[in-house]
Amino acid sequence: MKRSYVIKRILYAVFIFFVVLTLNFFIPRIGVSDPAERYYPPQGAMSEIEYEIIKQFTREQYGFDVSTFQQYIRYVRGLMHFDLGTSLQPGSPKVTALIGQRLPWTLVLSVTTLLISLSIGLLFGTLAAWKRGRWQDTLLLNASTISVALPAFFIALMLSFYLGFELELFPAYTNPNMVGQFDWSWEAIQVVLNNAALPIMSMALGGIVGYSQTTRNSVIAVTNEDFVITARAKGLSHTTVLYKHVLRNALLPLSTSIGMSISGLIGGAIIIEQVFNWQGMGTLFLEANSTKDYPLMMGIMLFLSAFAILANLVTELFYVILDPRVTVGDKR
Amino acid sequence: MSKRNVLLQVARRGGSFLSLAKKLWQHPKGRVGLILVSLLVLVAVLAPVLAPYDPYDVTQRAEKGLRPSLKHPLGTTITTGQDIFSMLIYGTRVSLMIGVSTGIILAFLGALMGVMAGYIGGFVDNLIMRVVDVLLVIPTLPLIIVLTGLLGRSYFVIVLVFVLFGWTGLARVIRSLVLVLKNSNYVKAAELAGASRWYIMTKHILPGTSHLIIMNTTLTCAGIMVAEAGLSFLGLGDPTAISWGKMLAEAQGGGALLFGAWWWILAPGAGIFLAVFSFMRIGIVMEEIFNPRMKASSGIYKLFKHLNNDYLDEVFDSMDDEEIADPPDHAGPAVLEGGHD
Amino acid sequence: MPKGRRAFVVWLALAVGTAMLLAGCQKIDYPCRIDPTNTLYVGVVQSSFPCAFMPWLSRDGVAPTIASMVYTTLFSYDDDTGEFEPSLAKEWCYVDADGMPIVTESGRIDYDRLEVDGVKTLVNPQNGRTEQYLTVRIELDPRARWSDGEPLTAEDVYYTLDVARNNYLSNHAGALAWTADLLHLYSNSGELQLQGIFTYNHGADEHGYRIDEAKRDQVVYLHVRGVLGAVTSLFTTVLILPEHIWQPIVSRASQLNCRNPDADMQYLYQHPVGCGPYVLDVDGSGSSQIVLKRNDHYHLTKEDSSPLYNVETIRLILYQELNVAIYAVMQGHIDMLDAGLSPNYVRLFEGRDDLFVSNAEGTYVQALVLNVNPVDSERTPMRSLLADRTVRQAIALAVDTDMLIRLVANGAAVPMSAGLIRESLTDFYNPHADILSGDQSTKLQHANELLDHVLPDKDEQGYRLLDGERVSFSILGHPGEIELISFLEIQLQKIGIEIRYQAKGSSPETTYLYTSRFDMTIQGVIFSLANVDIMLNAHFVALGRTSNYGRLVQDDLAADIEEMRSTLNLHRKYELLYNLQPLIAEQYYKIPLYSSEIVSIARQDRYTGYEVVPGATVFNTTNLQQIQRIDGSQSTSASSADPTVGSVAAAREE
Repeated sequence: MKRSYVIKRILYAVFIFFVVLTLNFFIPRIGVSDPAERYYPPQGAMSEIEYEIIKQFTREQYGFDVSTFQQYIRYVRGLMHFDLGTSLQPGSPKVTALIGQRLPWTLVLSVTTLLISLSIGLLFGTLAAWKRGRWQDTLLLNASTISVALPAFFIALMLSFYLGFELELFPAYTNPNMVGQFDWSWEAIQVVLNNAALPIMSMALGGIVGYSQTTRNSVIAVTNEDFVITARAKGLSHTTVLYKHVLRNALLPLSTSIGMSISGLIGGAIIIEQVFNWQGMGTLFLEANSTKDYPLMMGIMLFLSAFAILANLVTELFYVILDPRVTVGDKR
Repeated sequence: MSKRNVLLQVARRGGSFLSLAKKLWQHPKGRVGLILVSLLVLVAVLAPVLAPYDPYDVTQRAEKGLRPSLKHPLGTTITTGQDIFSMLIYGTRVSLMIGVSTGIILAFLGALMGVMAGYIGGFVDNLIMRVVDVLLVIPTLPLIIVLTGLLGRSYFVIVLVFVLFGWTGLARVIRSLVLVLKNSNYVKAAELAGASRWYIMTKHILPGTSHLIIMNTTLTCAGIMVAEAGLSFLGLGDPTAISWGKMLAEAQGGGALLFGAWWWILAPGAGIFLAVFSFMRIGIVMEEIFNPRMKASSGIYKLFKHLNNDYLDEVFDSMDDEEIADPPDHAGPAVLEGGHD
Repeated sequence: MPKGRRAFVVWLALAVGTAMLLAGCQKIDYPCRIDPTNTLYVGVVQSSFPCAFMPWLSRDGVAPTIASMVYTTLFSYDDDTGEFEPSLAKEWCYVDADGMPIVTESGRIDYDRLEVDGVKTLVNPQNGRTEQYLTVRIELDPRARWSDGEPLTAEDVYYTLDVARNNYLSNHAGALAWTADLLHLYSNSGELQLQGIFTYNHGADEHGYRIDEAKRDQVVYLHVRGVLGAVTSLFTTVLILPEHIWQPIVSRASQLNCRNPDADMQYLYQHPVGCGPYVLDVDGSGSSQIVLKRNDHYHLTKEDSSPLYNVETIRLILYQELNVAIYAVMQGHIDMLDAGLSPNYVRLFEGRDDLFVSNAEGTYVQALVLNVNPVDSERTPMRSLLADRTVRQAIALAVDTDMLIRLVANGAAVPMSAGLIRESLTDFYNPHADILSGDQSTKLQHANELLDHVLPDKDEQGYRLLDGERVSFSILGHPGEIELISFLEIQLQKIGIEIRYQAKGSSPETTYLYTSRFDMTIQGVIFSLANVDIMLNAHFVALGRTSNYGRLVQDDLAADIEEMRSTLNLHRKYELLYNLQPLIAEQYYKIPLYSSEIVSIARQDRYTGYEVVPGATVFNTTNLQQIQRIDGSQSTSASSADPTVGSVAAAREE
């Protein structure tokens, strides 16, 4: 019974992917009668006739000379080969190649932030839950409100200003040579850490508070369950109760939220990357936007969506695997 | 108390807006929130009176990059010589307008979708939920960036995109509630009496969800204000308007950090903070009022889970016929069968 | 409560976190601060750096700068005198029907004889028309070498110009190389229909062009269209390519300008070989840094035979944000910034003796363009007002350029004559065209008088009425121009005309170019001697997707511009240019607002001797040729190998 559920979820994910794919294909075509218009070079001093010829060449190069349906088929076929298209940048690099170049850098930020937020969040959350109602708990509550009200990019700007410009502890802006000169040496890693510190700090603050809150609620909820009360009544020590029963069950719903965070991991760092000039997927997307490089933009969006779908799917299946007691009927 | 009873209590908690406001006022934290919000609204409305200069008027520009002084409490911008304090005041208008109007539209749309999905069920429910799934997967910020590039940079486009994406949260929550309300006695009675679907939806179900809607809307407004600030910061808002996010962008681009003009960055940030904080306060307090059993913390929790509303599904899943001292905000299905190790 | 274990975990996490932070919390030494060699660190503000250099293709960003340093042209143009300075070529002249140079006794071009002896006619096989043409003889500098050591020959010039004209092989790259006036024609299927380039190996003899055996590799004859401006772009903008490298690779399947290049072509794009003063160091370059090394084979030198360019190595460092780059210069991470700064920043540099601030005269002028002649479908009653020259004149008079310069450009700009030619071009500038300067209140009065005849009715706020409706125009602009437009708003309010800002939209194609879907817009205009033929035609005559968005159609003006373009008498040409300026001014079609100065900065702690070059930032060829590296050249190799020693040395330096 479980297997059919798993298969169903996978098929569903594929279906969603196709819908997203189609949307992705049609979005650049909004608002223009002739989508190829976006790719034409400026006319400059060319004569009309010459310009018409160039336009025709451009249409052929970008595949706009066939019908929309055929273009769609080509697009899907390309995706089967993991070809997300060719960027308009000089040199025509493949979108996949560009993403591959920048993705690790975004992951450096995102994964580190996730780990830090998660670990510290878990600790604070459990603490707040245990000291429910006391000052630790109220502090957490206030911190939650404040951290939502203070946007991460504002924190980033302030950090960049004080720790970067004024105190010069960390570079206020990312060193542009960091990527090119990275060679896995200890110095290079130090440089990366040095530059990553401020972005991570800006993002982690919100993350820590968030995970603390989630953990706290989840722990409280589970602590009030019958089985916990039973365990305590049986005389089991607090430690045992905490680790064997509460945390394990409290972590399950937490994993859902982690799953969601992972999918937002990459796209969410766009503004922070822009503030610090960090060469990741976020800045790649913004560059593509400023040069109207639609193949690259839509390629990144498709990648992010696919990533999100995958993350969701994995989280759901993980959930199923983790908890054998879950009845896998259809969700209401 | 069974889950159903709990929810019905939430749904039935009556009172008009006035009594709501009164209850807010009585709550100490609510009072703060209420005061702050009214202050903001006042500032927004009375902006031309309160601001010493009109930032839209080029004849009132002063020397560029002045430091704070008596004449210019927050100095002037480096790029255009506008008075920052006045810009701060005018910025309130944009934030509040976008936040509140989007919130209200989302309230309608989300509630409508939720009620339809929950009550009508079947194909409609399926369709709506699939759409929700698709929308959740597409990365919001990149899509907004693409759409503003295609459709032009204006607040209309931003509100449009927020509405396009934002209704999913409320819809799911309302849907869950509606699924419960569907089976309540008075609805069943109305069905038997032969009332039409729409009648039942508008007269019975919708009012039952109204408090959830209001609560959620307040928190949504807060979230929208932050999001709008972020978008204006990226330069996607109306370039002629004055908004806090745009002030931050101008500050960064104009070299505030280079010139050491920290007040230019702090001021709009404080504005954003105040606006969001006050709305959130009200939202949290409203939640406490409506269901004293649910602790205030759950409100924030909801906001963080804005992308994932599974939790409520699971909450209701888990509350089947269980005697629970405090209704859990979040308990996994592990609890379903009474759990044992 | 399991305090012990929990506390342990907490401390562990904190310890790990702190360790990571501390590891990162080091003051990294930037290479510029410790580099003892003759290397110039230049910051460039761009979204990304190119990794491939397709010849002629890129128009924006840093690629054309790099291309112009790695490749070079036949001649370089001196904008002030109108002369061609030797670069790859030594000398040139027109030749007559017998192949003899048309020169005066002193060796200069004899323009008086040109019309008589130089002009020949041919039939254009593509359109059957009879066209006039001139023959040009170019002699290359025999010392010129490619960076791989091969000598430059006439065959390279032949190949370059030939492939530029052959769309079949070049995929229209040639259109961007501006060779339209070279009468060397190919069909779309790659067949040569009319030969216009002649070298020793390519039919010079058959066509009666004598080339000595000794100079067989240096002489090229060209057939150019019978106008004086035909040679300008051929000499000064076409970057010459090495035949021995490109010819084997370029084919129909693998065109010169290729969007999906194969491996061979990719290699050529990434490893450009040119005759320019610098060579691209491919290994040292990457996505955020480009390294150029001085070309030892470069044939032009100083009088004492030392290298013409003082700077040995150039490192271009990518910055995606201007403020970051400025910060970098101020902190000493780079030596200079190749970007024009807003005058708002000048205050930041006051009192800093280690910075050289260059305020160079700008070359382009911001102009307010009016839609004079919209297409029928876009003809609104408001726009028909703009067709009236008196109304345009009033608008032009109302513009207060002093206020704009003071408040928008912070004083770092100069006014421009309405004839749109800058005053510094003293030989050609016509002061009679400067009809928009003068006392602003007098101008305003005059403007109001003019409008009172045409639009006497006003509403309560003082705006004029056209058939009961307020006279209102929208100015198309981008967000950076909002401030400027706001000032124009209040200036035009004084003559009773309302102005609004309107966003430009996602593409010019759909908003104003060729569609005349606008009332007014702001445009940057450059007229220099080098481009005056093409530009005057594009701005005031040609309809279509050119700069004549307002579709000014003025037969007299067009005829004069055409005569200026086509006359073969240089003196007559300059005379006509002189006379054109008042005519252009009186059209009140492109109203000049101001010409911004170019503000840029460079540090003086590693290099000195910067000069202010009109029209350029501190990163220009003059500076590259003459700045001096302070404290000599390379120091001991030890300091560059060991970073700790380097930082100590740097600390001592500061």
